[in-house]
Amino acid sequence: MPPMRRKPPEKAVDNKKAIKNILFLLKDYKLKLIITFICALISTVFSIIAPFLIGMATTTIFDGINAMNAHTGTIDFNKLFFLLGVVVVLYIVSAVFSYLQSWFLIDISTNISFNLRNRIMDKITQLSMEDVGENKRGDILSRITNDVDSLQTGITQSFIQLMTAVITIVGVVFMMLYINVWMTLAALILIPIAFILITLITKYSQVYFLKQLAYKGSLNAQIEETFAGHDIIRTFNQEEIEMEQFESDNENWFKHEWKSQFFSSFNGPLMNFISNLAYVAIAVLGAIFVIQKTIAVGDILAFFQYIKNFTQPIQQITRVMNLVQTAMAASERIFEFLELDSEKNPSDVKIQHLNEEITFENVSFGYGEGERIINDLSFEVKKGDKIAIIGETGAGKTTIVKLLMRFYDVDCGEIKIDGVNINDYDKHSVRSLMGMVLQDSWLFSDTIANNIRYGNLNATDDEVIDAAKRVHADDFIRQLPDGYETVLNEDSDNISHGQKQLLTIARTILTDKEILILDEATSSVDTRTEKLIQEAMDKLMEDRTSFIIAHRLSTIRNADKIIVIENGEIIEQGNHEELLNQKGYYYRTLNSQKKSA
Amino acid sequence: MRNLVRVFKNKLPQVLIIFLLLIVQAYCDLALPSYTANIVDIGIQNADINYIMDVGFLMLIMVAISVFATIGVSFFSSRVSSGYAKDLRKVVYAKVLKFSNHELNKISRSSLITRSTNDINQLQNVLVMMLMMLFFAPILGIGSIIKAFEIGGGLSWIILVTFLVVLSLLAIITIRVLPYFKLTQEIIDKMNKTAREILIGIPVIKAFVRQDYEKDKFCKINKEFLDVNLYVFRKIFILMPTMTLFLNLMIVLILYFGAYDAIAGNILTGDIIAFTQYSTQVVSSFIMLGGVMIILPRFLVSARRVAEVLNMELSITDGELTSINDNPTIEFKNVSYSYPGSEKETLKDINFKLVPGKTTAIIGGTGSGKSTILNLIPRLQDVTSGEILIDNENIKNFKLKTLRDKISFTPQDAILFQGTVKSNMKSGKSDADDEEIKNALKLAQVDFVDDIDDEVSQGGSNFSGGQKQRLSIARAIIGPHDFYLFDDCFSALDMNTEAVIKSNLDKIAENSSVLFVSQRISTIKDADEIIVLDNGKIIDKGSHDDLINRCEVYSEIASSQMEESLCLQ
Repeated sequence: MPPMRRKPPEKAVDNKKAIKNILFLLKDYKLKLIITFICALISTVFSIIAPFLIGMATTTIFDGINAMNAHTGTIDFNKLFFLLGVVVVLYIVSAVFSYLQSWFLIDISTNISFNLRNRIMDKITQLSMEDVGENKRGDILSRITNDVDSLQTGITQSFIQLMTAVITIVGVVFMMLYINVWMTLAALILIPIAFILITLITKYSQVYFLKQLAYKGSLNAQIEETFAGHDIIRTFNQEEIEMEQFESDNENWFKHEWKSQFFSSFNGPLMNFISNLAYVAIAVLGAIFVIQKTIAVGDILAFFQYIKNFTQPIQQITRVMNLVQTAMAASERIFEFLELDSEKNPSDVKIQHLNEEITFENVSFGYGEGERIINDLSFEVKKGDKIAIIGETGAGKTTIVKLLMRFYDVDCGEIKIDGVNINDYDKHSVRSLMGMVLQDSWLFSDTIANNIRYGNLNATDDEVIDAAKRVHADDFIRQLPDGYETVLNEDSDNISHGQKQLLTIARTILTDKEILILDEATSSVDTRTEKLIQEAMDKLMEDRTSFIIAHRLSTIRNADKIIVIENGEIIEQGNHEELLNQKGYYYRTLNSQKKSA
Repeated sequence: MRNLVRVFKNKLPQVLIIFLLLIVQAYCDLALPSYTANIVDIGIQNADINYIMDVGFLMLIMVAISVFATIGVSFFSSRVSSGYAKDLRKVVYAKVLKFSNHELNKISRSSLITRSTNDINQLQNVLVMMLMMLFFAPILGIGSIIKAFEIGGGLSWIILVTFLVVLSLLAIITIRVLPYFKLTQEIIDKMNKTAREILIGIPVIKAFVRQDYEKDKFCKINKEFLDVNLYVFRKIFILMPTMTLFLNLMIVLILYFGAYDAIAGNILTGDIIAFTQYSTQVVSSFIMLGGVMIILPRFLVSARRVAEVLNMELSITDGELTSINDNPTIEFKNVSYSYPGSEKETLKDINFKLVPGKTTAIIGGTGSGKSTILNLIPRLQDVTSGEILIDNENIKNFKLKTLRDKISFTPQDAILFQGTVKSNMKSGKSDADDEEIKNALKLAQVDFVDDIDDEVSQGGSNFSGGQKQRLSIARAIIGPHDFYLFDDCFSALDMNTEAVIKSNLDKIAENSSVLFVSQRISTIKDADEIIVLDNGKIIDKGSHDDLINRCEVYSEIASSQMEESLCLQ
């Protein structure tokens, strides 16, 4: 799990845009949405008519008993059976349509999130390198899972509930008015008052909510820091001081937090109170109306049911509003990501081969504004040459090859292959021309065979094994419990760092590219493996144009051209002898080191 | 779990109050339908408006009592749940502060953070729900059953039947769906893993132009997720409509059989109305209970995660001795260390001495065990075998505070805390005055801070890597210490700055022992003694000039660093 960072203050969601985005997502499901709506309508209307009939049934019983007491008759069972029979049918139909409604909505919402996930993944593979940088991974992952998930729940839950809630409210009011206007008024007069009260309380609780949020933030930040800086706190004996500060923050948070919780849980009691009051009003007023013969006894029962059907959706609406808020925030984050600019790739001219040379002409580049990593860089490389790029860490060596791979675009100047700017070619075709072995040897959690085959998906098993043999990886692979079918685990720590590097070289051998980009190992690989890696790389470079970020003297000395980089500029270039004769930086470094040794 | 309950104990009186208030609320709410029955059976039957008004007034009183009880419940359950979260946070935080590296290896730091924030929040949220619903549902249910029996005993079997039908429906669906919940979780994990892998591998994917291949891979898992989701949701969403249906059918049955009872003179119309309401209440309170049960697994997961922290046995115990001589010697005697559960020894049979006034350096590749040696000295973790002695006394015999007061430790990651430069320096020496602080900053080449009251943001993110290293060195040298331990903390500094700081350090630590750990030859070249570590073993000791000629590993390390490789040819 990535460490939690303190969240920046929540941005206000642009509701209009969020709604537009959600509607856009629903656009493809018009027909299904209409069906869903019709199902909801049928289901709700049927369930609203039923209580009225139940009321009539009750009245039938009541009248029957009265008639019995007056010895003028008995309960009209034919009428009772008929009414109850109709009610049963209504309820069954309502249930069936209610399920159908969910069925379609689930279909819509899960498909929407399925598509969104694919679109996000699509975007990930298209974005430029800086947009998927290391510090953004956790954020992107949470968009794929959490945000898409809350959007899905938002759509399913809120749509089902909002739809039925609205239809129910309209239907119930209609039925109540149909039975008796005055009782309806008595039952509903309290609703607006309740709403005003809820708004007031929410406003009041907001004060505490915001305060507790601030304390929560500072407490969480302290927890994060303390746990991250655990070593420091222990070795400097800071435990007591940290504890004191924690306790005071913790206490402060609690003081505001429980109040915020208390006020925000007020809606429940309030709605309960309102529905109870309405209940009493209906019982008393209803009884008086029955005596006055304005309504029948069963109507009271019907009203009880309606009032219950009425407060429920209102509570639902308030609950759903929260869900909708989260869903909208989620959709904003998702679309914000989807709307990022993809890597530009305007040309579809495919480059096939390198014929003559690669040239850098006055190339400048910086990752951020005003920052120059590469400064006015010019050099040329003939086909078949080995180029060693040397310089201190941070001098810009890796940036040069990344520019060649078109991971980034130059700020000014041009990189040309056979005289044509690489920007005039299709990006993917340029990359396809080159094979790359980086120090940070990244492999998939897949089998070793599949990892090597990544270089050429059509390679046969024999070709894979042959590639492994050529980099001396075959031996150790066969010693693994499952040989070539060994699955590398997530951090691929079931094989050593050096072995991983051998696999990445095998992978590149299989691609058989004209241009190679290699980053020599500096990390602590054991000497035997390092030798193997070296041999493998040498073999790889035969008859190919190669760019090597070089660290070892043998490579540097054998290079056709050495480029010395300092602060993003070429300070010297030429082969080993030429550079020694120049008596410049290369010569000086070599000599001064010799003396001090 | 026992630890979690113990923290809850002081909340029991308040919980009891909540319980009583819930009974009051249930009593009042349940009184209403029987009053209605009276209104219908007596008031309407006799056309007695006064009677109806009187009953109405009694009902209002019940409603009033009920509302006060509910507010009380809200009040106390907010206090209880927030208070519990607060207490739990404190206990967890205090416990984690006592952790050593052994415990930190079992539960990662980021997981500890989640446990003490999100997981506790989760517990709190569920606790509120439980206090309000888990208690209330049975009270309301049982109350309704009693009321229903009072009114129409002959019809009570209908409630039982409905109840059983609803229960078996719940059981069937749960049994059907439960295995798929686990499957869903597995697919989510798989999807996350794949997405993460793709994100990390973007450079390789682009270089090999394998975008479509990766997208297909992800899409396949995504499709699996879609299918499982569809299956699970389609099953779950059967519940609501069918349960509502059964509830409604129950009312129909009550009316049907109630009519026969009424003819027999066993029940009055008002009672039938009341009975329908009670029976609805019974079934819906059990449905409510089921709803709470659904969130229980989530509660248990969080509870287990928090309990795991509290139950963690502390492996490092405090010693007795409270004083250490000035400028003592530290000796490693046959020290070995292996991580718990690991067969491989990280350190094997380490012997060396740190002598006052001398500088010692340890060099070795990543994973050679350098940092582990450093961590053993302030007892961030304890040796597996062998002993570390301070003036011939095992360090385990000293109080941790005493031991650590002697030591200045600078870890690999330059960790700074939110606050000011001054507050950060003070964590090195609590009673440091401004002059001392300014001096330490100067010695550590902190030339980028104008004012010691300058702000430091969380994790020191307003400083660059090199700046953070210099600040953390300043913190380490502020108080006089007998041992200075530096774990590879010059890596982001340029040679010049490093040289100046090191020469300043020589002055400060004139009579102390200094230990550097590094991978950089240039950092350690001038040390009095260099220890070469390879795979957890000391393979040679000596000065730079000795080692470069006789020690193969040392010269290999040197040759892999470019400057040295040039000098070697």
